[in-house]
Amino acid sequence: MFIFLKRILKFGWQNFSRNKGLGLGVIFVMTVAIFALTFFFVFNELSGFLINKAQEQVDISVYFKKDVAEKEILGLKEELNNKFSIQIKSINYISKQEAKEVFLAKHKDELLYLQVLEEIGENPFLSSLNIKAKDPVFYAPISDFLVSSFLKDSIEKVSYFASEKVINKLSEISLKIKRFGVYLGAFLIILVFLITFNTIRLTIFIFREEIATMRLVGASNWFIRGPFLIQSLLYGFFSILIVNLSFVIVLHIFSADLQTWLFDFNFLQFFKENFLKIFGYQILFALALGVTSFFFAVHKYLKI
Amino acid sequence: MIEFKNVSKIYHSKKEMVVALSDISFEIKKTEFVSIIGKSGAGKTSLIKLLINEEKPTQGEIFFEQECVQKMNQKTLQNLRQRVGVVHQDYKLLLAKNVRENVEYVMQVIGASEKEISRDIPQILEMVNLGHRQENFPLELSGGEKQRLAIAKALCHQPEVIIADEPTGNLDVYNTFEIIDILKKIHQLGTTVILSTHNKGIVDNLKQRVIVLDQGKIIRDSEQAKFIL
Repeated sequence: MFIFLKRILKFGWQNFSRNKGLGLGVIFVMTVAIFALTFFFVFNELSGFLINKAQEQVDISVYFKKDVAEKEILGLKEELNNKFSIQIKSINYISKQEAKEVFLAKHKDELLYLQVLEEIGENPFLSSLNIKAKDPVFYAPISDFLVSSFLKDSIEKVSYFASEKVINKLSEISLKIKRFGVYLGAFLIILVFLITFNTIRLTIFIFREEIATMRLVGASNWFIRGPFLIQSLLYGFFSILIVNLSFVIVLHIFSADLQTWLFDFNFLQFFKENFLKIFGYQILFALALGVTSFFFAVHKYLKI
Repeated sequence: MIEFKNVSKIYHSKKEMVVALSDISFEIKKTEFVSIIGKSGAGKTSLIKLLINEEKPTQGEIFFEQECVQKMNQKTLQNLRQRVGVVHQDYKLLLAKNVRENVEYVMQVIGASEKEISRDIPQILEMVNLGHRQENFPLELSGGEKQRLAIAKALCHQPEVIIADEPTGNLDVYNTFEIIDILKKIHQLGTTVILSTHNKGIVDNLKQRVIVLDQGKIIRDSEQAKFIL
């Protein structure tokens, strides 16, 4: 068994090292395939990050009339937390005083605002609940609940109804981006799979006479197939190496610029943190792509 | 050891139907030396291809030690091919392997150890006069050298049966008789030899059994040494 494996490994390496022209072609195609997979993975993460970033900017505020007691508002907060525990990311209660303090801190250098506030005399701000949902689509049911809650008559306004269109549009765009990512990924993977499979099929076609000769001297299927599988693993390994090296070099050069353009998304950091995950996907993909393509391409000529 | 029973082989193409072998029956005993002679297109190569199941007969059965070759499972067929050394007319060399590796491969297939391989290969290559060409690839060899390499491949694992399909086709007279001498020596050691050739001079010298094929039919099966086509 050991000598069998040793010979298969040796023949695999010979096939790989002696067919440089063919090998370069296969490595190029596999590199494109693995690059497409890695790009798809990064694109998915990036689009998720950007969508989250945009969604983080969206929230709704419920403003209460002046005479509503804090206890009642906190009761509503509790009820919201219970009813929408899955949909809600966070609820913050902002009292009148806190609202005023936030306003003052924000406009401390703007005299006009401060003068107006002084002239009014009393605190004009309203108590509010600031609600952040996990997805913009949850704002509608939360808002509907608020306007039909036990405090419905104490609510001055719910900001959702003023920005409903924007929030819905954002949800729609997020969904479209996610869908586009899935379609693009599926398309790319099918495309590169077909191209790689056909390239490998052509490579094996060149070896068909050799495979027939091996069969005629009584070589077993695995003694013939094994070296081709090793060869495919080597092609996969070098393709992964090229893709990752290219990514690291390109990201080292452009990461800072990309970070500025892409709302602080640090590509290099992301790549480093997720390297094992990416590498795992690449290995699985290369195995699925290379080994299965070689397996089926060789199988055709083993029937003699 | 080998038996052909009412074997026919017909090749179909779009335009025509070619009868390569027509109702052939004969038997070859263990340790026999049989020459199959016939003009080009007589069916010699088809007969050899059927014997190692490279092709299947249109009709009839071929037996190797009482087992039908066409009904053999993959493992048994591999075993049969390992027990038979074939010198193919078109050499069937492994182009991506050098001379030494081509011969090595056959020994590796039968599971020979590295020790056996490194002991036997130089002797075999010297025997076919390719000792100095060990590192060359088949495409760097002349026709005669390719033929000698094909012979080395067929002999290296000491098979029970040697089938040689026009093994001297590309050789000069000196090399031709050298190869025939090798086949004779192997036969004397107890190996069954089947030699396919169109060269009746060789057959005349062998003084062994001769099967004559013409247009896919056996027209004579004789143990006479002298035969005039």
